[in-house]
Amino acid sequence: MSTVSNPPGSAPRKTSLLGEQERARLQRRKRVGQAFAAITFIPVILAIALILTLFADVIFDTLSWQVVEPNNSGQTFAWSEAPLGGLAVMRLELSAQGLSDSDIEAIISDPAELTRFRARNRIELMWHTDDGSMRWVVTNSRDDRLDYYGFFEGFGQFDRLAADLGPDQNIYLNPWLDFSFLTRNNSRTPVVAGIKTAIAGSLWVVGLIILFALPLGVGAALYLEEYAPKNTFTRFIEVNIRNLAGVPSIVYGILGLYLFVRLLNFGPTILSAAVTLSLLILPVVIIAAREAIRAVPSSLREASYGLGATKWQTVSQVVLPNAVAGITTGIILSVARAIGETAPLLLIGAAAFIPFLPEGPLSRYTVMPIQIYSWIAENDVEFYNVASAGIIVLLTILLLLYGLAFFVRRRFERNW
Amino acid sequence: MTTTSKQDPKRDSNPIHNFNYDHETVRTDAQSGDDVAVGVENFNLWYGDFQALHHVSLTFPKNQVTALIGASGCGKTTLLRSINRMNDLIPIVKIDGEISYEGVNIYDRNVDPVEVRRRIGMVFQKPNPFPKSIFDNVAYGPRLHGYDGDLKDLVERSLQKAALWDEVKDKIKQSGLGLSGGQQQRLCIARAMATEPDVILMDEPTSALDPMATDRIEELIHEIKKDYTVIIVTHNMQQAGRVSDRTAFMHLGVLIEEGPTDQIFTNPKHDMTERYVSGRFG
Repeated sequence: MSTVSNPPGSAPRKTSLLGEQERARLQRRKRVGQAFAAITFIPVILAIALILTLFADVIFDTLSWQVVEPNNSGQTFAWSEAPLGGLAVMRLELSAQGLSDSDIEAIISDPAELTRFRARNRIELMWHTDDGSMRWVVTNSRDDRLDYYGFFEGFGQFDRLAADLGPDQNIYLNPWLDFSFLTRNNSRTPVVAGIKTAIAGSLWVVGLIILFALPLGVGAALYLEEYAPKNTFTRFIEVNIRNLAGVPSIVYGILGLYLFVRLLNFGPTILSAAVTLSLLILPVVIIAAREAIRAVPSSLREASYGLGATKWQTVSQVVLPNAVAGITTGIILSVARAIGETAPLLLIGAAAFIPFLPEGPLSRYTVMPIQIYSWIAENDVEFYNVASAGIIVLLTILLLLYGLAFFVRRRFERNW
Repeated sequence: MTTTSKQDPKRDSNPIHNFNYDHETVRTDAQSGDDVAVGVENFNLWYGDFQALHHVSLTFPKNQVTALIGASGCGKTTLLRSINRMNDLIPIVKIDGEISYEGVNIYDRNVDPVEVRRRIGMVFQKPNPFPKSIFDNVAYGPRLHGYDGDLKDLVERSLQKAALWDEVKDKIKQSGLGLSGGQQQRLCIARAMATEPDVILMDEPTSALDPMATDRIEELIHEIKKDYTVIIVTHNMQQAGRVSDRTAFMHLGVLIEEGPTDQIFTNPKHDMTERYVSGRFG
């Protein structure tokens, strides 16, 4: 807004169109409005603060200080000695344990030995070690772990801890979430436990869910929108689909336990989980797909019919291609819900401890939320850090999926 | 609408307010039967309980432009959409009577509406190109029917007939939605012509366009009538006067008067037609 300046020497110009009293009333009205605007903003601040607190808490829980008395070499290696980690660090560690070069090559070239070494040791780039910062540490599951401190707790008394170290003891700042966490199977020892089996299980389940729920959901939506007669029965189905979307997920778990695990005898397998979760997300998929189909303007349908298209030609060449963005978004959001679903899977037998990759739809499995839940339930304080690392992985995957849905909507959405 | 107000005798005598649904259509000339493209015979149509068309009888001669005029809600669009059975898409529509095309009653139980629309094309009020390329828009109809000739040639010919080819020949692969409103409407006309129909129905094709674009569409209608029978619904009486050979005036679902356009506009026989074309109501 530009202000009008008075010519010099003139009387000050009036700035109000109202009388004194009415003006005061207007000011009061505006103040009330401002107060309400401020009140509506409070929940937003509260929500943002809560989310930030959650993230900070989980992230700091993935760090801990540990006083360790190593069982093997107990040496740390500079990052520059083996910039890519992996086998190079393994060689350094084995030679520090006193093995000869030929013995080391024998271990590395034997796959069985390699697997055993990897199952028992975790190669980590630790932020802080006794020998300096950013060094490779090979943590052995048989190391004696003497003391454990949370990130802030250990930070406060670091000087005392460092002074109290006995001979051969080390103190490390352990980042529980590193790349090897994603590539390790689960283990009874927190330091070598990884989330690989759970990620694989989740991928299997999600893949099968898409396979089941996409054709069923889109088919049902197409039928209800394009083919079904508009009568009481159709309306009854519509209302019930909306109701089903609100049924608690544990109820679907009970249904899955009875129907798929017991009656159809699928057992506690990936197939049972995928079918049960498909049922769980189907109502949401149908609702989203129907809305996408309904958003295709009827003028396009009429144009197609007017050119002599049959119903199926119109549906397949005009309606579906123009609804595909909305349908995809709905599927992605539903899948994100299925990935985070825990309760029904506990009922239908996701396993807490699976140290191997699933081999097919009929193998036993675990998924990420179940894995996190079982880690938290463990009686070892270090598993709490492992669970935090798992939560970060799960949240990251969900964030990526929501980002993908947002991108798809932005990229392919059309305004008519 | 059949008000019988006692206070206003002038209003009572006004046929617009005291309407006779059994009105017999005034026909300005006798139509010979042999050059008829589409014949409507005692056609009634209901939306649920509401009767939208009352015993309409009308013939549309071949290779002529017939304009349907009348106030909003008079049933002219409903009549137009009945001619290629677009009203079948509305579940609550019931019909009675006959519409014949080349001697076939298109509402016969054994006639497939898809066949009807194949021969009787339609252009809508609002330009509605598909969100596809210009080429794919025009090729949509021929592809539906399994056209086995040279598709590129057919698309080019259709666009040329719609006087759009010169403007779009360099961007034939671009989206049809990128064109201006008038170009989009000509694209829709090209699309309708690409299926090689005999009759083209136009539902207020210029109501969403500016005067320049309207002028081009009207020129186009003049051009294409040597190949097609055109039936056009319009709100614009000047337009009806400019483009049509014959005009039919409807009111409240009843066909009031029909005849050669110059007759209807200069020497209407029915009082209500005279009031409408002179702009005293509607």
